[in-house]
Amino acid sequence: MNFLRRLAYTLRRLFSRSQSVIAALIIAAFTLAALAAPVLSPPRDPRQPPGLKIVGRQSIGVPQPPTADLRLGTTSEQYDVFHALVWGARNALRLGFVVAIVSAVIGTLVGSISGYAGGWLNGIAMRLSDAFLAFPAVIGVLVFTRLFYTDSPEWMVPPTPIPGLLADLGLNPVMVTLMTFSWMPYARLSNATIQQIKHADYVLAARSVGARPRRILFRHLLPNISAPLIVLMARDMGGLVILDAAFSFFQLGGTVEWGQLLASNRSWLLGANGNPLTYWWMAVPFTVALILFGVAWSMLGEGLNEALNPRSRR
Amino acid sequence: MPPAVLFLLRRLLLVPVTLLIITAALYAIVMLVPPERRAYLYLPPKVNPMDVLADDPLLQSLIEQHHLRDPYPVQYLGWLGRLVQGDWGWSLAARREVLPYILARTPVTVELLLYASLLFMPVGLLTGTLAAARRGSRFDHGVQLITSIGTSIPAFVMALLMMAVFYIGLRWFPLDRISDSSKIVMDTIDFQAHTGLLTIDGLLNGRPDITLDALRHLAMPAFTLAIAQWATVSRISRTFVNEELGKDYITVAHGKGLKQRMVIWRHAVRNALVPILTTSALSVASLVTTLYLVEVLFNFHGVSDVFLVATSQAAQFGTFDPAPALGFAVYTVFIVLMIMLVLDILQVLVDPRLRERFNRS
Repeated sequence: MNFLRRLAYTLRRLFSRSQSVIAALIIAAFTLAALAAPVLSPPRDPRQPPGLKIVGRQSIGVPQPPTADLRLGTTSEQYDVFHALVWGARNALRLGFVVAIVSAVIGTLVGSISGYAGGWLNGIAMRLSDAFLAFPAVIGVLVFTRLFYTDSPEWMVPPTPIPGLLADLGLNPVMVTLMTFSWMPYARLSNATIQQIKHADYVLAARSVGARPRRILFRHLLPNISAPLIVLMARDMGGLVILDAAFSFFQLGGTVEWGQLLASNRSWLLGANGNPLTYWWMAVPFTVALILFGVAWSMLGEGLNEALNPRSRR
Repeated sequence: MPPAVLFLLRRLLLVPVTLLIITAALYAIVMLVPPERRAYLYLPPKVNPMDVLADDPLLQSLIEQHHLRDPYPVQYLGWLGRLVQGDWGWSLAARREVLPYILARTPVTVELLLYASLLFMPVGLLTGTLAAARRGSRFDHGVQLITSIGTSIPAFVMALLMMAVFYIGLRWFPLDRISDSSKIVMDTIDFQAHTGLLTIDGLLNGRPDITLDALRHLAMPAFTLAIAQWATVSRISRTFVNEELGKDYITVAHGKGLKQRMVIWRHAVRNALVPILTTSALSVASLVTTLYLVEVLFNFHGVSDVFLVATSQAAQFGTFDPAPALGFAVYTVFIVLMIMLVLDILQVLVDPRLRERFNRS
């Protein structure tokens, strides 16, 4: 009951800002599109990957403009733009959620345990997160895909079990790398806050009645530092999807269709005959989707920050 | 020892420590690959990997020769030793030694980063400070709006927009690093590469036309990178200058009758610069990512060329070619650390606490 009342209070504070309302509406629209994707644009062949649908003959090789049938035309590979837009929302949300949650859990565990223990453990954990901060995620994907994913036939280069293992877990190399390189902000944040509050009186009280460190950490300290971590997760969502699209431009196998098709149609996006809007039906939907996705999540993050931060309470 | 020197020494020491952690982690991942596959890393130069089958005796001899079945620490130290000696391996797909290839491309990347930084660092500091000084004004709201758009628009969208407007539409700026005519001039007139930076080498060789040409080619990529980073720097500056302006010493300065401009630039900004620089250090990795992305999109053949060529050709011919990826990873971490070190040096220059004691001793 108490929890529900607090949730209602937070939501009221959150939605007292018009920006947060807009952000939530945009995210709701993406979620609806993602959920309703099979209805909005049913895949033609259930055995094919669902995100891309080829319409028309591939030998045409030129983007086809929108018609009454194909609401947003096709890309140069004759992929249905509307189909990729709708199914891309599904992949974008899944990528964002999975990566944000996993990296938040990893980061919070690393940061809070080391912060509570202090001493050399803390030193090692923070050195480690500093080192990872110096490592751009693109490079991680590069190394990972180059090592484990090649098109070489098996008789030529001996295979590794890693891709199969990951596929069984429902993961792909991009997700794994993003998880590996997104936990540091959570670790730094939880580490700093835990160190601030670990000498508080209520921790001393809990310890004096014989609570074990694990209980203190998970029952007393973590709930108190969860608010900024949630804010960080909301802010990460958009950034992760945009980074994934950037991987597509590096030819490193981004997973969201928006970025994939933007990158593969790069030369078409600039238009023809000096008119950059010639093929607007490809460029506009995907870029707008990416920007809206990024802006909405960072606006929601701002709003959550205001709503959850006790210091900004009016 | 004066505090500034101590501070820099501690920061310098972090470079090898971080490099050790990263290379150890990288090689731990490499170790997950079976030895027969890793043997491809050590194929003699110019051996076509397509001719080497999985059961080739050459692979077994390579495994023996490079101790590929030894425990991790032994192999890691061996690899590290070769890295230090400058043997970064051979790229099968690019048909080149990895390290010389990367080094040959470095000036291109440095030039781009240099001009972009000269744009976004001062301008970001300026707009952020002015926004903080006039908090709540129309200017402040405008800057906040533009910077939040700037941080939300992906760099590749910005790059595509730039190209659509200035390259396709207005035909003001070209792609690539230098035009073909300048390339021919450089080949014919015994052009000396003193610095590797074309804008400077053009002047040193007495050919301002080449400098101008290089600048014209730099314009779009440098501006794209600068806009993306300007928004970040401006936001950071606004936050910290704002924080300083709320402190007591600012009230004192105002009370002494100092002019607003003096209070802001001499007092608030100076103190804010330290946290601005430390916070900026956190976004260096994303700066480098954007830098590579911009290079790729504008056909600006910098360091990113190394992995782009390697990945595209390896994918095309189905070869296993991890040497350039590994080398590129190590090199990128090195670049990130060097940029962070420059930020640290700047911090020593602006932090009165570090500097003043240095002057007195």
